Amino acid sequence: MQTLIEQVAHGVRQDECKAQSALFRLLARTLEYEVDEAFLERLRGELQEPLAESGAPVPQDMLDGDANEIIANLAVEYTALFVQPGAISPYASVFETGSMAQVQCDRATRWYQENGFAFKHRYSGEFPDHVGTMLAFVSALFEREANALEQGDEALAEEIRQSRERFLIEEIGGWAPGWAKVAAQAAQHPFYEHMLNLTERVLWDELTQIVPPRRMRELTEKNARGPTVIKKDPGFRKASGL
Amino acid sequence: MNKHFPMSRRGFLKLGGSTAAVASALGASRLQAMEQELGGKDFSPVTGKLREAVPYTCLVCNIEDGGIAYIEDGRIVKLEGNPDHPGNRGKLCAKGNSGFLHTYDPDRIMTPLLRTGKRGEGKWKRISYDEATTMLAAKLKEVIDRSDAANDPAIRNEIVFKWGRNRTGGGIQRFMGALGSNTMVGHTNICESSKKIGLEPGWGPDIESADFANTKYALIFGGNVTETAYFHNPNAQRLVDGVVANKAKLVYFDPRHANTAAVADEWFAPFPGTDVAVALAMSHVIMNEKLYDDAFIRTWTNVTPEQLIAHLKTYTPEFAEAESGVPAKDIRRIAREFATTKPATTFSYRGPCKHVYGSYQEAAIQMLNVITGNVEKKGGYCLPRGMGYGQPSPKPPGGKAPSILGQPPSYPLAGHQVSTHMPYQLMKGDAKCSVLMTYYDNGAYTYPSSHVWEALLKDEKLIPFYCSFSPYMSENAELADLIIPDTTYLERWDPESMPSDLRPWLGIRQPVIKPLGNTQEWRDTTIQVVNKLDPDGKLGIKQYFAFKNGEEWVKAQFEGIPGLKEDGGFDYLKKNGVWPKYGKIDPVTGQIVDKNGDEVPAEYGLHAKELPASAMDGASVEANGAIKKGGKTIGVRVNGKNCAGFGTPSGKIEIFKESYKKYGFNPMPVYKRLASRDKKADELVLITFKVNVHTQSRTASVKYLAELYHKNPAWINPKTAAAKGIADGDLIRVTSSVGYIVTRAHVTEGIHPDVVAISTACGHNSYGRLAQLKMKEKPAEYALGGDPDVDNNVWWDDKGVHPNPIIKMQVDPIGGSQGWYDTVVTVAKAQAGDKYGDTKASLEASMKDYEETLRYAYTGDMHKANHKEVDIDWAHLPEPKAGGGH
Repeated sequence: MQTLIEQVAHGVRQDECKAQSALFRLLARTLEYEVDEAFLERLRGELQEPLAESGAPVPQDMLDGDANEIIANLAVEYTALFVQPGAISPYASVFETGSMAQVQCDRATRWYQENGFAFKHRYSGEFPDHVGTMLAFVSALFEREANALEQGDEALAEEIRQSRERFLIEEIGGWAPGWAKVAAQAAQHPFYEHMLNLTERVLWDELTQIVPPRRMRELTEKNARGPTVIKKDPGFRKASGL
Repeated sequence: MNKHFPMSRRGFLKLGGSTAAVASALGASRLQAMEQELGGKDFSPVTGKLREAVPYTCLVCNIEDGGIAYIEDGRIVKLEGNPDHPGNRGKLCAKGNSGFLHTYDPDRIMTPLLRTGKRGEGKWKRISYDEATTMLAAKLKEVIDRSDAANDPAIRNEIVFKWGRNRTGGGIQRFMGALGSNTMVGHTNICESSKKIGLEPGWGPDIESADFANTKYALIFGGNVTETAYFHNPNAQRLVDGVVANKAKLVYFDPRHANTAAVADEWFAPFPGTDVAVALAMSHVIMNEKLYDDAFIRTWTNVTPEQLIAHLKTYTPEFAEAESGVPAKDIRRIAREFATTKPATTFSYRGPCKHVYGSYQEAAIQMLNVITGNVEKKGGYCLPRGMGYGQPSPKPPGGKAPSILGQPPSYPLAGHQVSTHMPYQLMKGDAKCSVLMTYYDNGAYTYPSSHVWEALLKDEKLIPFYCSFSPYMSENAELADLIIPDTTYLERWDPESMPSDLRPWLGIRQPVIKPLGNTQEWRDTTIQVVNKLDPDGKLGIKQYFAFKNGEEWVKAQFEGIPGLKEDGGFDYLKKNGVWPKYGKIDPVTGQIVDKNGDEVPAEYGLHAKELPASAMDGASVEANGAIKKGGKTIGVRVNGKNCAGFGTPSGKIEIFKESYKKYGFNPMPVYKRLASRDKKADELVLITFKVNVHTQSRTASVKYLAELYHKNPAWINPKTAAAKGIADGDLIRVTSSVGYIVTRAHVTEGIHPDVVAISTACGHNSYGRLAQLKMKEKPAEYALGGDPDVDNNVWWDDKGVHPNPIIKMQVDPIGGSQGWYDTVVTVAKAQAGDKYGDTKASLEASMKDYEETLRYAYTGDMHKANHKEVDIDWAHLPEPKAGGGH
């Protein structure tokens, strides 16, 4: 028998999981695909206020402009930001190795498969290590955890929690917050800028909850990776043919 | 002295020295050089697991070397040469080894992109292959419907297909033939078309196979064999075999000290465009000193020694020295050496032929082999050996109306088209384009006066719809309306054969991995487009594309090849990559050897092979010996024998080219002094060159190659530089009649004093972050986090400056080749305010260049003035008409 306190805590955790699932699902939806009519309707409706309260307000032009025009403009922005050459590639493989479809892709696929998911692309050029797909996976794990809690299966909920945290730390924590920061800076449309900033904040918030302080420093450093300025060696000049 | 072993260090060394003499007799150790022992196999350095090996044919450049891709966990991790391939004999060049980086390049276009902003604005929307092929089909349908409604097949020529590197094995031609358009515009006139037209009418094929490995004397004109020229990797190996193992002498002519000059016994730097004078003078010496092969000339050519002596009378070594700067005494000496050293061969590539009148240059160089009887001899100048593969039946009939863009009327001999003229023709309204498709093509970067292509592609009236099949955002692709990305060459099907060895071979290009991220190859895209364009087959197009996919299409191309089926057919090729297998590569000599270790010999004397009796059924023999059957020459009767001969109308080598004369060109190889030869004293001739680790335009973003070579300073001679007050590394302005570029000087002895040389491959404004050094401009956005190669190791901050915008468009009126090395420039220290990379090019000046080059065509006013010696009725030259070719 659970005590009242345990029951309350249980309920709180279940609600938290549901909320987190929804939040990660929102971020995933934003990053995986372009805004369509249904998504725009929600952004104008039930999501408008909570997003504004979270510091990611839906830009005014999206609230009162022509829906078709907005969707078309956002599709162009989405393509420029995440798809076309020179984009801020949303793939872990590219961020970690400079090449598409590397081991990060395999690891993501394994995670999905072990948890009963299959990756299905909608367009060509989509890989399992897309940041949006990874966040969708976190969302699914939160949802499963909530369901397990709802059914009173603490052991299963705990197993899912551990999986989720491990996935967040091992597959997302080392790059995605930093990536979101860079992408937000590159975004031309405030919608993506806000949502990417929100993604960064949500991820750091979640990581802070689950990562020990010492490991947190390591993750912070990994996410802050930037190009190194090379000191010019005059010897190179001759060696390179000039 | 060591107390444990009574011998001093000196004693050890003495023992070692004595042992060295007999070391080879001690037998092999268990240790072997890894790469020799493991050819064809590879292991994971982490797990030790054998990697999957999938053979393929390379396509970073056009040599089509055989490779093996090693696959680990579904990824290409390494490429190496196919040890069973007779062409490249187990070796790949730097470009080939780096090829898999193309596949995983984060700047690769992975899904169709539809333009949403203005052309070139960079605004795109991703769409699916299904949406993209539907869109292209609709655009094509509009033209076809219009053509049918007007009952005018010429309207279909408004469907334009422009390609650069086309290794589809006739796939593009099949597609365009089915659509009924003749407007197929290849790139060959910016490549080596005047070499082809210098050879084909008199020789048959478009190239020679120089048997470098077995030669004793190699005379190379403007063909940088050890770095880049045609059959780079295979020919470089064979040239080294010849020079090192066979002790052949190598003499090299090139205004620039290329790497081939470095391995040559002698290097001469002729004034650009004067190689032909040197070659003719050598022929003059050989003929006048009776060093020629009398029997060969009389038997196998359509001229006599007496006619040659008369023709060459004015081409003395002194004349050649005055034109080229190569000393007459050296011309005489080399001519004698070449004629008396057996066997000997020449080789030439873009250096001589990429000039106005380049066709004469090629023909003159080839003639040296003919008059010395070195043709089809071991170690000599041989016919190329290739294997044919066709298109599956039924074959589309092709377009009904000749295309002005496909074959400009003023260039009837230019059988490889005059693609440089396309933008000018469209701008002047000579032709119309409704749908433009491009494949492996980047005219806005690779063409002379490249800004003209940019202007064309930006003009939505002239090009209402432009679809690029490029998998990379290039200078061209960024101006497209729709990009339907092809896969990379490691993910698709093509048939292949190239004469890179004297033993002919057939190869396959196959996907070594499943196309990455569900991208699709051009063949699959084409099949989809056709099915949407002609869903019920009523247009008569669909019947030619009854293939499930690209694999089935290519498989059908290999059917019916004699002997292949018996060896296993398509499956054999998939397993081995190349057919037939002639033997094993000897790991020490690199030769192909049989079970006994003896080299598998090539076959020589192909022209003298007797025709089978069956071939003579229904054949007739003409007075000149030509054996005709079905209206075609199938051989030549020589000394009573029916021989295979050469692929010419007479079956002999036609030094005298009747087809040239028909249009008022000299039928014999001649020297024409070019305008660049009359430049002012303080002017220079601008030449370009390709380097060994890059293609012309498609590799600047490959990180391994970019690190090796990424900037292209202008080579200038120290004396010239000093006269202009230029020091090494100085900012300079190079100015032509088209415009100017601001670049840096590389002061070196390795360049002719009248020449400035700038390489291609650099100075991109598109084509990936590394090609443009975007990570230097916007480090945060273009950094790749965990890739130190891109983030931390790009130690250079110079992407080079592209010379093509200031190069004049001017072509050889015979073969149609661009005169790449005929642009006169001034070079001076940069002016105040000049910045590195500044480029200014005038569209107006380029339009004038177009008008000027037309004056040299057979229809132009300069033609007769430049060919007064040709005995022809000038008033009755053939009327110009589209769709010519020799």
